[in-house]
Amino acid sequence: MKLELGYIDINNIEFSSESKVENGTLYVNQDAITKMILEDENIKSVKLDIAHPGDSVRITPVKDVIQPRVKVEGPGGIFPGVISKVDTVGSGKTNALRGCAVVTAGKIVGFQEGIIDMTGPGAQYTPFSKLHNLVVVCEPVDGLLQHDYERSVRMAGLKTATYLGELGKAITPDETKVFETPSLKEGMKLYPDLPRVVYVQMLQSQGLLHDTYVYGVDAKRTLSTMIYPTELMDGAIISGNCVSACDKNTTYHHLNNPVVQDMFAQHGKTLNFVGVIITNENVYLADKQRSSDWTAKLCELLGVDGAIVSQEGFGNPDTDLIMNCKKIEGKGVKTVIITDEYAGQNGKSQSLADADPAATAVVTGGNANQVIVLPKLDKVIGTLDYVDKIAGGHEGSLAADGTITAELQVITGATNELGFNCLSAR
Amino acid sequence: MSLRIVHYINQFFAQIGGEEKADIPAELREGIVGPGSAFQAAFKGEAEIVATIICGDSYFGENESKAKAEIIEMVKGQKPDLFIAGPAFNAGRYGYACGTIAKAVKEELGIPVLTGMYIENPGVDQAKNDVLIVSTKNSAAGMRDAVSKMAPLALKLAKGEPIGASIEEGYIPNGVRVNFFEKERGSQRAVNMLLKKLAGKPFTTEYPMPNFDRVEPNPAVKDLAHATIALVTSGGIVPKGNPDHIESSSASHYGKYDIEGVTDLTEATYETAHGGYDPVYANQDADRVLPVDVLRDMEKEGKIGKLHRYFYTTVGNGTAVASSAGFAAEYAQELLKDNVQAVILTST
Amino acid sequence: MSFFILTNNPRVQKLQEEGLEVLFSEASYVGILQQARDMIHKGHRLLTHPLSGSVKPKEGPYKSVMLSSNQGALDRESLELIENAIITTEKFPDKSPYWTPKVLDDLALVDYTLITSALPSAQA
Repeated sequence: MKLELGYIDINNIEFSSESKVENGTLYVNQDAITKMILEDENIKSVKLDIAHPGDSVRITPVKDVIQPRVKVEGPGGIFPGVISKVDTVGSGKTNALRGCAVVTAGKIVGFQEGIIDMTGPGAQYTPFSKLHNLVVVCEPVDGLLQHDYERSVRMAGLKTATYLGELGKAITPDETKVFETPSLKEGMKLYPDLPRVVYVQMLQSQGLLHDTYVYGVDAKRTLSTMIYPTELMDGAIISGNCVSACDKNTTYHHLNNPVVQDMFAQHGKTLNFVGVIITNENVYLADKQRSSDWTAKLCELLGVDGAIVSQEGFGNPDTDLIMNCKKIEGKGVKTVIITDEYAGQNGKSQSLADADPAATAVVTGGNANQVIVLPKLDKVIGTLDYVDKIAGGHEGSLAADGTITAELQVITGATNELGFNCLSAR
Repeated sequence: MSLRIVHYINQFFAQIGGEEKADIPAELREGIVGPGSAFQAAFKGEAEIVATIICGDSYFGENESKAKAEIIEMVKGQKPDLFIAGPAFNAGRYGYACGTIAKAVKEELGIPVLTGMYIENPGVDQAKNDVLIVSTKNSAAGMRDAVSKMAPLALKLAKGEPIGASIEEGYIPNGVRVNFFEKERGSQRAVNMLLKKLAGKPFTTEYPMPNFDRVEPNPAVKDLAHATIALVTSGGIVPKGNPDHIESSSASHYGKYDIEGVTDLTEATYETAHGGYDPVYANQDADRVLPVDVLRDMEKEGKIGKLHRYFYTTVGNGTAVASSAGFAAEYAQELLKDNVQAVILTST
Repeated sequence: MSFFILTNNPRVQKLQEEGLEVLFSEASYVGILQQARDMIHKGHRLLTHPLSGSVKPKEGPYKSVMLSSNQGALDRESLELIENAIITTEKFPDKSPYWTPKVLDDLALVDYTLITSALPSAQA
C-alpha cells in the first residue's frame, strides 16, 4: 500500500468571511463552522478562538487535538467509519495542513485535565504550543449526559478538522513524502538482508473518557489485528480519550504517529518495516491476556525479528505493556517499549505499576509527577474552573495571582508514550 | 567571594605512602594537597579548596565512628560551602571511606557533598542513594576526566543550583528519576535502540527494571516428621532488653539466640527491636512474630522432627538489601552445618 | 465465570438491581484495594485490573474491582497486581478537598463505566 502525503505549511490562522488557504494562511469563516457544529442538537453554544505560538494564552481543559487533512486521490476519506464511509484508506494522495491544529475544549466531566500553554515554561512540554490552533469550545445543552457530551465534542472536532482539511484539497503541497508498505512476500524479496520489524500500538480502551476508535469501531471490542501504517495517516484511528492529558494519544498523534514516521525513515535502509499491530488496553484481565497473547502470536506469524511497543495512559496499561513485551520477547523477537513514568514528585517511587526482567530496552517520556509552576497568562481559552481539581493539581494549585502549581501530567502530550517528544528521565 | 571547599583524600593521594601507611589517623592541612590542585584549576576562581583532610584507609575502616567524629569536627571548623571526597576510582576501602564520610558530613553538617568512584567500586552501593557519586574511570589515570565532571557539578551543588539528570551531570544513578530533554524524540530513540538490540550491540535502557532478586523455591520437605526446622525473622524479636543492641532501623547486624527449653515467648522474656511497626502486639506475645509456641506444639505432636535450638533475628526496617543478604549468607552456612532441613522465615 | 463486584461506588451498587452480585463497602479508594487484597489471600481471583482507567488514584473516592466468586489456591498474579496497585496509589496526592457534588457524580460515572466495560467479557 502506497500513500503520497503532501504537507501544506500553515504559518497563520485568521478569521475571515471566507474559508480558504492562501500563502500559508488558513482563513476561517467562523459562522460556517459554528453553524456546522450547532447542527448537533446536543450543543447549546460554540465559541471559536485562535491561539498562535508565543501568545500569552492558556487553553484548558483540552479534549482532543486534530490535524486537518483531506483525501486528494484514492479510495475513502479522512476519518473512515466516523466522518467518511468505512472504505479502506491509506493509499493514493492525502494533503495535511502542517503547522496548525483544531483543539477541542470543554468541561465534559468535573475533574478534567489538559492544559496547552502557548508560551512560558509549560509551552516547552507540549508539542501543540508550536502550532497555530483553532480552538473549539462547546457548551452542552442543559442536562446532557457525559457520554453524549463527549461524543458531541469529539464529532465537533473531527467535523471542523475535516472542513478545514478540505480547504487544502486543491493546494500544491510544500513538501510531499511517499510512504509504501510492500506485501510481506515482496518485502522479503526486496530486503532479504534487513531485519524485519513491526510496530505494536496499544490503544486505550476502557470506557467513558478512555476510548479509541478504529474505523469507527470501539477498540474495546476488538482482537489484536494488523493495519497498514498509512491507514493511520488517513485517520483510521481516532481518540475518544479525555483523561491522562500527558500520556493520552490525541487524534493528532495518531495521524502523525512518530514511531511510524521514524520506522519509515529507516525502511529499506536498516530495517524492513512490515506493518502495525494494534491491540487494546481493556479493564478485564482475561481480555488483557487474550490481546497480548494475540499480539505475540501475530509477531510469530509474521516472523519478525524486532518490535517496538508503544503505550497509552497510566496504571493498568503498564500491565498490557509488560505482558506484550514479555510475550513478544518470548517468541524470540527483540523488543523495545515506550512508556512514561509516575515516580512520585520526588522521583523516588517505582515508576511503573508492573515490571518484568524481559523489558530490557525501555524508552521513557519522563516522570509525569514532576512538579511544574505555570505563571499566569493573559488569556484563558476554555475555563480555569477545574484547574485545582485536575490530576496532579492539588489544593492551592491555582494561586490568587493566577499561577498554577501542578504536576506535569496536566499538560497535554507532555510525557507522550508514542515517543512524540524529546522529554526523558534518568 | 569564592566558595569554600574542604577536600578529603587518603594517604595514597596525599603521597604519604601506600598500604604500609594506611593506618595514619585523620589530619587537617590548610590549602591544597595532591589532586586538589586539579580541582582548584577547574574551579577557575569560583571556588577555593581551603583545607584538605587526609586519612588512612585502614584507620578510617578500623575506627569508623572515631574517625568520622574527628573529620566532622575538622570540616565544621572550616565552615565550607561544599565537601568533596576523592575521587576514589576503583579503590574499595577508599571508596567506602569517601561514601561514608561524605554521607556523614551531609547529614550532620547539612552542607552539600560530592564524591567520585568507578561504577564497580564496592563503596558505590552503600552510598549512591545518599550522596552524589560521579562515575569515574577505574584508575587514577582517569583523574583529568573525573575532575572535568566533578568540578562543574561541585560548583552547582555549592551554589545550590538545581541538579540535572544523572546522564547529564555524570553521576551514578541514585534512584531519583529526573526529567530532562534528549536531543532526539522518543520514537527515534526507540528505533535506534531496537537497531542496536537487533544487531547484538550494547544499548542502554532509559529505565532499568527494578532489581528482580527472585529465589526459586526449594523442593518441598518430604518428611516433616523427622526434619529439623529453624525460625528466622526480620521482625526484630529479641530477648528482653535487646542484649546485642540490634538497631530499630537499618540494622547493622543480626542476633542468634538459644531457645533450648523455651516453649513460649512471653512478655517478660522477649520483645521486638523493630521500629517500623506498632510493637504493642509483638511485645505482648512475641510468638505472634516468631511462632515458637506453635512449633513446640507441632514438635510434641510429632508433626515436625524438632525445632532448631537457635533462632536468628534482625530488623528488616530500612535495612539495606545487601546487608540482609550478607547476614543470611553467613547464618545459612551455620544452619547447613547444624543439619537444619527447613527454615520458617517470618517478616512483619 | 461467576463473579462479584467489590465497590464503594453507590452507582455501581445499583447493578444489584440488574441481578449482579455486588459487595458494597464504605471503604476508601485504597481501602477497597486492601479488601480486594484480603479476598485474594482467601483464594478469590482478580478479574479486572485494580488500576482501571487513567483517572489517577485518589483523584476520586470510588473504586470498583471484579473478583471471582470461586475460591481456589492463592493466585499469585492477582496478588502481585493488587499489591502493585496499592503501592502505586500511595504515590498520588489526596484530592478529596475537591469532591464537590458535580465532581463526585462524574467520578462515580467514570468508575461505573470502567467496571461495566468488563461486563461483556465477564458475562461471555
